[in-house]
Amino acid sequence: MLVFLVYPIFLLIRDSFYKIDIINPSLREFVGFANYTNSLTSERFLKALWNTVVYIGVAVGFEFIIGLILALLLSNAFKGSQFIRTLLLSPLMLAPLVTGIIWKFMLNDQFGIINWGLYKLGILSDPHQILWLSDSRFALYSTIIADIWLTTPFIMLVLLAGIKGIPISLYESAEMDGANKWHKFRYITFPSLIPVATVALLIRIIDAARTFDIVWVLTQGGPGFSSELLSTYMYKTLTRYGEVGQSSAMAVIFIIILLFLSSFFITKMWSPRRRHS
Amino acid sequence: MAHIPLKETIAEKPVWFATLHVKHKIWTLIVLFTTCLLALLFLGPYIYLLLTSLKPSAEAVSVPPTLWPSQFSLENYIKMFDYLPIGKYFLNSLITAGASTILSVFFGAMAAYGISRFSSITGSYFLLFTLVIRMVPMISIAIPMYMIVKSMGLIDTHFALILVYTSLNVPFAIWLMIGFFDSVPKEFDEAARVDGCSWIGAFIRIILPVSLPGLATTAIFTFMLAWNDFLFSLLMTSTNAKTATVGISEFLTAYNLDLGPMTAAAISFSLPVMIFSFFIQRYIVSGMTLGAVKE
Repeated sequence: MLVFLVYPIFLLIRDSFYKIDIINPSLREFVGFANYTNSLTSERFLKALWNTVVYIGVAVGFEFIIGLILALLLSNAFKGSQFIRTLLLSPLMLAPLVTGIIWKFMLNDQFGIINWGLYKLGILSDPHQILWLSDSRFALYSTIIADIWLTTPFIMLVLLAGIKGIPISLYESAEMDGANKWHKFRYITFPSLIPVATVALLIRIIDAARTFDIVWVLTQGGPGFSSELLSTYMYKTLTRYGEVGQSSAMAVIFIIILLFLSSFFITKMWSPRRRHS
Repeated sequence: MAHIPLKETIAEKPVWFATLHVKHKIWTLIVLFTTCLLALLFLGPYIYLLLTSLKPSAEAVSVPPTLWPSQFSLENYIKMFDYLPIGKYFLNSLITAGASTILSVFFGAMAAYGISRFSSITGSYFLLFTLVIRMVPMISIAIPMYMIVKSMGLIDTHFALILVYTSLNVPFAIWLMIGFFDSVPKEFDEAARVDGCSWIGAFIRIILPVSLPGLATTAIFTFMLAWNDFLFSLLMTSTNAKTATVGISEFLTAYNLDLGPMTAAAISFSLPVMIFSFFIQRYIVSGMTLGAVKE
């Protein structure tokens, strides 16, 4: 098992210092850090990096807000809340690919239901007005919409579990002290949720950084490079341009950024003594 | 473990609407309305895909679009077989996901049991390692794995995909199962040992049956990871071992004008999963919240 995961990473780091012929990988030439400097100075790479940051920021931000609202709503037990929760959680296991296809259909500029809906509501003057997937201003945000739709239930699930873990006695004593709903949220629910929310957010940030399927199905990074993420750019560098060394160098940079980001996450979740306590 | 605590938590039982105060009634109505609206927002797109797949083929891409099919038809479901060998792709998905699940659960269970019972320090470091692996973007692992598979001459074989999925899934399987095994009291093993069982015997006869829900959770997650995978299959297969996800995405490039059959394929691919996860949600929830919600 170690062999299958550690060895590839070793290979990856080694390859990132070479220029390699994809047809005949034994033809290789040591180029030092050239692949790294090429990546870090290339406009396309920086654009993809920036797009990835925007993607993570916007997607995870909205997912958290909507997820929190849903979790708070569903924590009020009313008749049917259990059923609605079950329904909401069904897409948890849906393939990102299928999500991409759903939104490819709905956002289509010819027969997409979104544009026609907006047209019928009088928001758009022409049903073909917004080219969601083929206008470079909107393409990235269209892929973000699909991501938000797919993964908000996950955030909701984790936050809901967090809310359920708050002892009811806290709320009862607050009520005795005359707290209203906002006070209860502000001083009990929200602070109690912070540890759970941190972990949920970090899991989502890392997963959003790795997104490939949704973007590939919806736009393939286009039009132009307007919705290019690091993952799609690396895929293209490998398969379309056959630059093994170059894509390996980008992959290493990507890993380093993510590890840096998630070292916080690891210290939060892991301690050698945790399992004994 | 990620069990939602059994102690009294907020709003345990549903409250009958009629017994509420007027002020509470309004509040409850607002909550109910917003919840239903948001639920519709989240289920709507999938239902729309389902409805589209049941339209006659031409209506699926008609301008303007229709919300409700003018007539229900299975035309798309029949036509999807004409365009691509979609049945074969589904079979490939089933083979690779199934085989890698069996392997991951098997190796994962053995390793997790060892770590859980015999070496707690290794176990802790192993958990760290698993977390680190989780941080590594799939595409980064995919590049060297592609080179390995290529140099072994295994491109476009089931075996390559099974190998890749298994190696990706085993750390995750171990991580999940350590949690489940830790929750089985050690006295169980000791009792079995006293009665003359070997460690292996105790594991197979006592521990595995007791932690069946944990095994089920692990199997579901590993299966879904392989079933839903797109990137590795896209990289490593061309004709022979192509899985359903890549097959479905091909409708987009090859038959740009007739997308109805694609919706049918996407529904056939995902509807069983949706229905399945509706009924086994307890397992999914315990797997997903593991690690995020501490006891």
